[in-house]
Amino acid sequence: MALLEIKNLKMDFGAGADALRAVDGVSLTIGASETVCLVGESGCGKSVTALSIARLVATPPANYVGGEILLNGQDTLKMSNGELQKIRGGVVSYVFQDPGASLNPVFRIGNQIKESLKLHRPLTRPSATLSPAGGEGRGEGVRVLKNVITDYDTEVIRLLKLVGIPAPESRIRNYPFEMSGGMQQRVMIAMALASEPKLLVADEPTTALDVTIQAQILDLLSELKRRLGMAILLITHNLGIVGDMADRVAVMYAGQIVELSPARELLRRPLHPYTKALINSVPKLAGGASRLSAIPGNVPRIGNFPPGCRFAPRCPIAKPECSEKIPELLEVEPGRFVRCPFWK
Amino acid sequence: MWSFLFKRLLHMIPLLLGVSLLTFLLMAMAPGDYFTALSQNPQISPETIANLKAKFHLGQPWYVQYFYWLKNILHGEFGYSMAYKIPATALIFERLWNTFLLSFFAMIIAWGIAIPLGIWAAVKKDSWADRGCSLVAFVGLSVPDVLLALLALWFAAATGWFPVGGAQSPIHDLLTPMQQFWDCAYHLILPALVLAAADLAGIMRRMRSCLLDTLRAEYVTAARARGLGEGWVIYKHALRNAINPLLTIFGYSLAALLSGAFIVENIMAWPGLGRLTIEAFFAKDSYLVVDCVVMATALLVVGNFIADLMLAWSDPRIRLK
Amino acid sequence: MESTPPNLNPIALSPWQIFWQRLKRRRIAMIGGVILIGLYLISLFAGFVAPYTHDRLDRDRFFHPPTRPQLEGFHLVVPRYEQQPGNFIYHAVQGDTQPIRFFVHGEKYKLFGLIPASIHLFGTGDDKYPVYLLGTDQFGRDVFSRLLYGSQISLSIGVIGILLSFTFGLIIGGISGYFSGATDTVIMRLCELIMSVPALYLIISLRATFPPSMTSAQIYAMIIVILSFIGWAGMARVIRGMTLSLREQQFILAARALGQSDFKIIVRHILPNTFSYVIVAATLSVPYYILGEVVLSFLGVGIQEPSASWGLMLNAAQNTEYLKNYPWLLAPGAAIFVTVLAFNFLGDGLRDAADTKSI
Ligand SMILES: Nc1ncnc2c1ncn2[C@@H]1O[C@H](COP(=O)(O)OP(=O)(O)O)[C@@H](O)[C@H]1O
Ligand SMILES: [Mg+2]
Repeated sequence: MALLEIKNLKMDFGAGADALRAVDGVSLTIGASETVCLVGESGCGKSVTALSIARLVATPPANYVGGEILLNGQDTLKMSNGELQKIRGGVVSYVFQDPGASLNPVFRIGNQIKESLKLHRPLTRPSATLSPAGGEGRGEGVRVLKNVITDYDTEVIRLLKLVGIPAPESRIRNYPFEMSGGMQQRVMIAMALASEPKLLVADEPTTALDVTIQAQILDLLSELKRRLGMAILLITHNLGIVGDMADRVAVMYAGQIVELSPARELLRRPLHPYTKALINSVPKLAGGASRLSAIPGNVPRIGNFPPGCRFAPRCPIAKPECSEKIPELLEVEPGRFVRCPFWK
Repeated sequence: MWSFLFKRLLHMIPLLLGVSLLTFLLMAMAPGDYFTALSQNPQISPETIANLKAKFHLGQPWYVQYFYWLKNILHGEFGYSMAYKIPATALIFERLWNTFLLSFFAMIIAWGIAIPLGIWAAVKKDSWADRGCSLVAFVGLSVPDVLLALLALWFAAATGWFPVGGAQSPIHDLLTPMQQFWDCAYHLILPALVLAAADLAGIMRRMRSCLLDTLRAEYVTAARARGLGEGWVIYKHALRNAINPLLTIFGYSLAALLSGAFIVENIMAWPGLGRLTIEAFFAKDSYLVVDCVVMATALLVVGNFIADLMLAWSDPRIRLK
Repeated sequence: MESTPPNLNPIALSPWQIFWQRLKRRRIAMIGGVILIGLYLISLFAGFVAPYTHDRLDRDRFFHPPTRPQLEGFHLVVPRYEQQPGNFIYHAVQGDTQPIRFFVHGEKYKLFGLIPASIHLFGTGDDKYPVYLLGTDQFGRDVFSRLLYGSQISLSIGVIGILLSFTFGLIIGGISGYFSGATDTVIMRLCELIMSVPALYLIISLRATFPPSMTSAQIYAMIIVILSFIGWAGMARVIRGMTLSLREQQFILAARALGQSDFKIIVRHILPNTFSYVIVAATLSVPYYILGEVVLSFLGVGIQEPSASWGLMLNAAQNTEYLKNYPWLLAPGAAIFVTVLAFNFLGDGLRDAADTKSI
């Protein structure tokens, strides 16, 4: 059983006549310890898809009209609030785009991390006769037994050290505004890891940071993944970082997945015209001479999607029939899915 | 934080000086003075008037008068009320205390009701409760203080449940201390309620919008994403942040409160600074008017300073800088 | 999707059209606007709509209760009221009625203060059967008529005061923000000074600088001057802030690079960019000017008898005996409330439509 299985997810903003389809039939699986990248231009629905995993999009305005999201085999769309609170942090943790905005400005970072610890890994007295660490939940699906900790402060310091924050002992009493953006993002990552999740969702974790810091944060994520072995869903609109991080890549366009492939093959031989265009628009430092091409036109806005294939108006190989029917996402080669009949 | 507070404190001095100078200038521009009326009185000889004038430096240019006035103030002397024929200091402080009492209780009532209501409306956004609260607040915002005070007066007169104006009953001095306390409270309730009602709607709307703003913040989503319960998210993470903008509007609300108190005092015969100002104005007791204006401003400025203190305490970004 | 009507395309609309479309969708704002148009129209034609003039004394009918028109057949009629000897209690005399007629001849007045006329919208034409829709006051004057005449003062002070103080606020704030430096410091300190005195205390001090007895027109002008003297400061501060941020923007730099004069840049480029804020703020501040006049007149230092203004009329209601027995004297309070509410409705809608969140 895969860790996460999104099946044909459909979500609207608004209801009734004003409903705007933001996510339209997204299916995606992530295995344990797998890294999947979700790429696409901004506004295509990456964030709302990712937030939906722990049902973090407010309903209303959001409205789930179809599909299911199986996390450890349980549908999060059907969960009660209590169950949701357990899986949030407990199974899936989030790192957001702007660390300055995602840390609460009026609390010390140590206390904010501690909050997660208290919730998901309450102190166990040394005398307690609990089963040893590492034991799996007793078939309850989402219940996971965490490593035992005996002291919050020590654990917070260990976590801060883990994410590469120098002098963590003095840092725990800092307020977010006393740290740089890169450090703040490390704190966010430490906070996400505090609850020992199975899946880490990083929603454009580097977009708001300086270029030099971006690489450091991505390195940190790879390193943590190697050591801790959780699965990662990395969202980005930058194909350049995909090759180093991802096992598989899902390319999203206007609320739909248009291509889903193992990372290396996708980069070497993209099949969907949109993926090709995306790859061509990434500046390459090495290749120098290769022509850089912007994709003509704009991402269609939600509620304003063209009929048929949504990429057709911008597609270099579009044919008249493209605007008639939405093409299916088909497995054209083992493990490679494309939503375009003319992929060859 | 200390430098921030120190700066604020230092800021108060030129402000109060400026306000006193401005009012003094205005009073100097006023046609006639207390003695103009006095000199119409045939029973008072011109010599007496001239003596009195000299005593109060009224013959001198206004800046000399201002200088004397300032000198007195620095000695804690508010001069002599020409209309009341008593030293102004005691009079001013008694009225100041009354205005403070009225405003303070009104503030406690207003904030005590408005804050929970605002939170409730924000948490239950778009529910019928929220719409109802918002509509009532909106309508309440449009009821002028004057009308509200008159309605309260009417209510008191029609039902007889409350005293019709005044700060104490005529037999106040004959009562035991305990009875005196209840007598004061009994007289205070209605004016304080009127003043509070005039302020309530605005604060409630502010509270609601501040909390809604923070509930939209990314750190609230991030807190939810960590699995924190909804109550914890709202009352700890969001509310704690919504307090800061609310504290910054405290100053505005205090200014409105003092202007409101001016009206309530005059309609409901509450012997505060506002009433004294009008009395002094009609008596052409210009020193007393200046004193009142400066004291009212001081009340506002000190109130704002306290709000700054609270903000510095509440917001680490200010506290640690 | 091709069936999308073209006017839904936001690019095809000017900012004003978008604004208007958004405003039209806010029903409350439209209600507020319609009420205001109605109020100002009535106030403009006060002499015609009011059955009596503002200073007509009916010495036989002090504290006359509001007349209750009745339907008799197809006619609206008013009964004759008889006073109980010795006090101000009146009873309608059954069966003794006169029909209300429209466009009747009555007292002379001047429409818009210019055109002499004597036609009134309604009345009985018979002084024994007066139509006192809102009763009479302690001098036997018709409260309804005085309300209408009073609205001419109360409503116009709001608009003129706003125009005056916002003009000053805009210009001074624009100058302050654009030049910064010493000019800016001085102006801002002055604003701070004015804003740090609780408004009514400052109003009274300002009032003291004027002579106690003046003509109605002088008092009217004085109230506007006083209220504007206080009002410009807040506006200037906000405009200064906006100017400061606008000043650094590309199009201003471009204009300066083209060698346009400072004054031209302020008037042509900076101020127009603050207009949506200004319009919203102006609408929401009109009530303060109306209330300023009300309070001044109420306290006896504003409009004087026998002129009518809403504040002055409320002054009579301050007497608890009057208040208890003749509650119709509170009618001006209701008028103030409706006006302020309408301005708030409209202002709130304008703010949402203009999307200026910062107010
Ligand atoms: N709370 C919301 N209400 C209405 N529309 C929304 C909301 N959040 C996101 N959307 C819309 O959903 C679409 C997808 O947004 P998002 O998932 O944030 O895109 P991205 O791929 O850049 O992360 C966008 O068109 C956005 O405008
Ligand atoms: Mg996003």
